[in-house]
Amino acid sequence: MSKIVILGAGISGHVAASHLRRKLSKDHEVVVVSPNSNYQWIPSNIWVGIGRMKSKKILFPLAPLYKKKGIGYKQAKAVTFHPEGDKTEQKPYVLAEYVAGEKKGTQEKVTYDYLINATGPKLNFEATEGLIPGENKTYSVCTYTHADHAWHGLNEVIQQMKNGKKAKILIGTGHAKSTCQGAAFEYILNVEQELRRHKVRDMAEITWISNEFLLGDFGMDGMLMSYGSMTMKSNEMIEMIFEDRDIKWITGAGVNKIEDGIAHYENLDGEYKTETYDFAMLIPAFSGHGFKAYDKNDNDITDKLFKGFMIVDADYTPKPYEQWSVQDWPETYQNPSYKNIFAPGIAFAPPHTISKPRKSKNGTDIFPAPPRTGMPSGITAKLVADNIIDSIKSGKESLHHKGSMGNMGAACIASAGYGMTQGSGVSITTYPIVPDYNKYPKTQGRKLGKTFGDIGLAGHWLKLALHYAFIYKAKMKPFWWLIPE
Amino acid sequence: MTQRISKYQRFKMMNPIIQFFKFIYLSIKIMIVVAGGHGGTRKVN
Repeated sequence: MSKIVILGAGISGHVAASHLRRKLSKDHEVVVVSPNSNYQWIPSNIWVGIGRMKSKKILFPLAPLYKKKGIGYKQAKAVTFHPEGDKTEQKPYVLAEYVAGEKKGTQEKVTYDYLINATGPKLNFEATEGLIPGENKTYSVCTYTHADHAWHGLNEVIQQMKNGKKAKILIGTGHAKSTCQGAAFEYILNVEQELRRHKVRDMAEITWISNEFLLGDFGMDGMLMSYGSMTMKSNEMIEMIFEDRDIKWITGAGVNKIEDGIAHYENLDGEYKTETYDFAMLIPAFSGHGFKAYDKNDNDITDKLFKGFMIVDADYTPKPYEQWSVQDWPETYQNPSYKNIFAPGIAFAPPHTISKPRKSKNGTDIFPAPPRTGMPSGITAKLVADNIIDSIKSGKESLHHKGSMGNMGAACIASAGYGMTQGSGVSITTYPIVPDYNKYPKTQGRKLGKTFGDIGLAGHWLKLALHYAFIYKAKMKPFWWLIPE
Repeated sequence: MTQRISKYQRFKMMNPIIQFFKFIYLSIKIMIVVAGGHGGTRKVN
């Protein structure tokens, strides 16, 4: 009998738990440890943030589902990692602290045979002075509670505009090294459409601010893509959309301080500037959770497990941008020191960014951290689960399932406005996610045809269809496994 | 070079009949890209 412990119940953790439970007999134990009581479909948060979808539509409670499916569940947060056990506990374990219920505040050694760290990122608002969701007129859509709050803030500004007050809206990234530009991109287009729906568009000046070098970088150095019968760069496509929607943009901007209605930033020319606003939604920097790890003698071995995020089978050798390759990226997400620990999704430490690193004239790093969205999170979680299942069934380590982001496609179905007849979406696929300049030297590291973009109403329908399909899948309803990650 | 979206392009983007067929086409195409397999990069077969 094996015991598999999964830390986190987001897209990655939940996918891993679902597949493990489906494919392993009940002799084996699958336990999820997560401080969150609900599963949330994060990609739909942007619709909560414009008041077009209630947050209850994008979440469901985990405990009843896990009980029904025979998955153990502890509403607790990981505190420390002990991959060798300790003097009193022979088995490896994670020290977890309950965050709710009768056991709230108590700690437990959760032992395991296999550990999947799917703790995702910490939303590091503290990295930017004054960037606090709901304060200084800044908001976030990173969680459903943040998105609910953002809608209240936006609605207030809309009501003020209806009363004749002009307003400035600022949306983008709130730190020089933020990632997840896609969420901010979706939000700005949805906000723009909602302002038109409320007939106050002419009262608002909407500005995009981002650490990207060019619009449409999306943390992936942009892409050359097929668009209809044309081949165009992603920045040309996104500039076309922003021009069409009369959205201004500031790129190469590292926001470093927020005051009430004022965003301070430094640009790549080394200039320190400010942008005023009445409503802002700024994505924070992401970071690891700051976990500590100890060996059986209680010596600190954090650097064997973590490098901010968790260390996996990537090549972390520091090297210049020109020498980066897709081979640097992990394939199995296995920790090299402790072979029974894996970190799929956002929990693994990337070898480097995908975008070219850029510094301002003052030496400040201003470029996006590598994005790892829902689709690769799900794919990497499933392959980790499959490797663990094979290892348990064969009785020896099996790592046949591999999935490097340098050999994996991803789709970004970005909502550009809500509505069954008036909605819009920007559908983009990229293959591979990490550009392979050796394999595709003439097309900016990507395969044309598999890297394409499209704009239109169908994109909105697709995004809505994915919303319902993935919530169905997450609820583990009949034949859920037929829906791919 | 920045260009705005023409009226004809916008008509195609928002026409429900055209977009219905585009929805089917995009669903299949995205499925091929995303579910079309993945693998490692370190071994050349």
